[in-house]
Amino acid sequence: MFKQLFGKNRSHGKSAAMRLIATANQEPKIQQPLASQLQENLEIIQTLLHRPSDLIIRQFSFAAEELTCCLVCIDGLVDSAFINEQILKPMLRYGDQAVGSVEQSFYILEQFVLTAFDMEKAETMDNSIQAILSGDTLVLVDGLAQALVISSKGWRTRAIEEPQTEAIIRGPRTGFTEDIRTNTALLRRRIKEPNLVLQSYQLGARARRDVVVAYNAAIAHPELVKEVDRRLRTVDIDDIEGSGYLEQWIADSFLSPFPVILNTERPDKVSGAIMQGRIAIMVDGDPFALIVPITFSSSLQSPEDYYQHWLITTLTRMLRMIAAFIATFLPALYIALLEYHHGMIPSKLAFSIAGAREGVPFPAVMEAFMMEITLELLREAGLRLPKPIGQTIGIVGGLVIGEAAVAAGMVSPVMVIVVAVTAISSFALPSYAFAISLRVIRFGIMLSAAFFGLYGIILAYIMINVHIVNLKSFGVPYSTPFAPLFFKDWKDLIVRSPLIFMKDRPQMMQTEDSVRLNKGNE
Amino acid sequence: MKSFEYGDREIGPIEMGVTVSSMIIGVGVLSLPRNIAKLTLSSDGWISILIGGIISMSVAWVLAKFASMFYKQGFFAFASAAATKPVAYVVTTSLALYFLMYSGYEVRSIANIAKQYLFERTPVEVIALTFLLVVVYAVSGSRVGLIRLNILFLPFVIFISLIVLVFSASIFHFKDLKPYLISDWTQIAQGIKGSTFSLLGFEVVLFYVTLMNNPKKAPLATVIGVAIPTLLYIAIYLISVGVFTHFALFQVTYPTIELAKEMQIPGEFFERFESIFFTIWIMAVFTTTFMAYDCAIYAIRSMNDKLKHITWVFILSPVIYLSCMLPRNIQEFQKIGTLISYTGIIVAIILPISIYIVAKIRGVQSDAS
Repeated sequence: MFKQLFGKNRSHGKSAAMRLIATANQEPKIQQPLASQLQENLEIIQTLLHRPSDLIIRQFSFAAEELTCCLVCIDGLVDSAFINEQILKPMLRYGDQAVGSVEQSFYILEQFVLTAFDMEKAETMDNSIQAILSGDTLVLVDGLAQALVISSKGWRTRAIEEPQTEAIIRGPRTGFTEDIRTNTALLRRRIKEPNLVLQSYQLGARARRDVVVAYNAAIAHPELVKEVDRRLRTVDIDDIEGSGYLEQWIADSFLSPFPVILNTERPDKVSGAIMQGRIAIMVDGDPFALIVPITFSSSLQSPEDYYQHWLITTLTRMLRMIAAFIATFLPALYIALLEYHHGMIPSKLAFSIAGAREGVPFPAVMEAFMMEITLELLREAGLRLPKPIGQTIGIVGGLVIGEAAVAAGMVSPVMVIVVAVTAISSFALPSYAFAISLRVIRFGIMLSAAFFGLYGIILAYIMINVHIVNLKSFGVPYSTPFAPLFFKDWKDLIVRSPLIFMKDRPQMMQTEDSVRLNKGNE
Repeated sequence: MKSFEYGDREIGPIEMGVTVSSMIIGVGVLSLPRNIAKLTLSSDGWISILIGGIISMSVAWVLAKFASMFYKQGFFAFASAAATKPVAYVVTTSLALYFLMYSGYEVRSIANIAKQYLFERTPVEVIALTFLLVVVYAVSGSRVGLIRLNILFLPFVIFISLIVLVFSASIFHFKDLKPYLISDWTQIAQGIKGSTFSLLGFEVVLFYVTLMNNPKKAPLATVIGVAIPTLLYIAIYLISVGVFTHFALFQVTYPTIELAKEMQIPGEFFERFESIFFTIWIMAVFTTTFMAYDCAIYAIRSMNDKLKHITWVFILSPVIYLSCMLPRNIQEFQKIGTLISYTGIIVAIILPISIYIVAKIRGVQSDAS
């Protein structure tokens, strides 16, 4: 029974109907049309929904003919004030006027009585139940095999707040919320163009979560739109619990540590991406929107880059590149230099390092791994603990590791510096997902440095490059615009050139409308 | 999966030029100044390199012109049409063998030099094996991916060379370049032979032309691709002579790396810069190796594509490993290097050009027309 109620999304057509005929006729089916008897309909709805406690069924008489009407909705999903004012009140106040036949009652209701703005008719049980579960109100009239579906959604949502994960100094303070309508409205308010397409999907066979794909039809490449649509249609899972689920389902490669889909809480980042010809995917119940396709360099860019002076941004971007390099390679370089190539360290520094390491019982590799793991532990513990205690973890951890471990001769002070600089660098990256992937890679490179020194590091670097040139994000090579070369896109890569020089949209996106400047002169 | 593709299987003239340069720049340049200095007098080697470069550029131009005739059907199919199937089989097989030997040679060289400059105790076998495994990983990917790797790596290689050249200026003595033009013609000719050996590699255009979106631009791209290493070689040679003097130059096994050892970087951030230089140079050798490997597989598969690309990668990797471990000492190894160069000139240059001439005479239909 349950299976029939929430059968797979796409099996609504023939196959479900066939099943309907095959099974016994007594049990209520999700696919059947509405009955004309009100009580029968109510009974079927009750049965199909397993007699829930939050189902509201309000019966009353309507018009001079004393038609028995019924209002069905789910408490908590609906705006009760709205239902009272716009549905119940007009119907009860209609009084003794005649509506003629039962058949005409719908016409009268729709045209003259109900003051709600969004109304539809439903004729099957499936549509009715889906409407109730989505927060709509169903109005049934005894004697008619039809129902009115009135949009009355209204539930508690979080207010629009500043995004937690992507704080910036200058720029809008709005972040997405869990409610998809709020999010699409935030996008609409930024892009008031009719070409902004918000295409809806219901994904997840059981949970039927709302997913919205947003793009600009005049800019985005049609093939890209098709590809996103194709991948979304392959989603075959009971519930996509959030954008992370969807991301993993539609990503190009599940083996790659690099994120090929960007996630963001910021409407300005999403609208900026849409204007570049990218596509955003938003999932109901998750404040993170996904942006596709992205490249390696997207992870090093922040929306603030475009709000600041270009010189500052250029410097910041270079800084981020250096940060990414340090976050990936510094501990490995330390290991390699110390274990294999002491000769490369300038002699004075070599002496002081050797002096500091005196008494440390472990080789550099062990030391590095111990410290890295401790730091990861600290980070993880700080995340789990409530905010006030989380800060103490930082202080205690910092003190214990920074001072006591050195004093006890467990690690050398140089190692503490290396690990700390590495951690700070990885925090300096604008994309959390990207920083995590660098963290994963860092351990691999540390291992190869432990085995082969500098030679191991360069081989690891080469392997990362081999991986990146073969990786794609929705058809776009991850190494674009470095390779394949798109020199025009270099204006917004390491150097963020002044806005008046960025005349075109990214060439790598192969946009339909490639020019962004001088649109008013057309 | 037919997805949203960005000109995959399509490379432009810049990519082609970079590919040719990346193929040429390999281990050869590390010992080039010594080899040229052995054959010529004073600083006259640059004339040899220049003339060698010009010769290579013109040969490369002819080869690329030839290659653009079959950018759709590929080398083997065209050779079969132009000069009967058996001939095509022989030529393509020998090309495949040549490229296999080539990549094996590069693997062994990198292992030898790494042992000299980076490791003392690690055995050559292990160094070569790790390098080869990474090469196998690269070749298992897409062919376009390899071209993209070239584009990512070549700037690093050029950049580190320029750093070495610029910072060597402080220890460079002009008087060591004198006297000029004292070598006689036979010595210059010997030098030309030596420098053309180091400029071999542009024959990859025969196999990568099939990826080009506009093969008409292949000849120019290839010539520029040869010109870049030629200029680099001349600069490195002159600086080496100015730093080491001609007399000392042919005592040094790898003058280019030693150059990095001698130079002074302001700031004293690193000592022994040659380790850094060589580490970066591994990228240059890596590009050469994987392209040679990839071309070998491509040549084999053009004759018989029953086995998948990846299968050939795994079949051939032990062959490369064993072949590169065969030479027991440096002398044998250098002999093999010379042998490969001669093979290259015959197999990858003379034979294809003869086919080109035959095709022209017989008027074989080309893809370009």
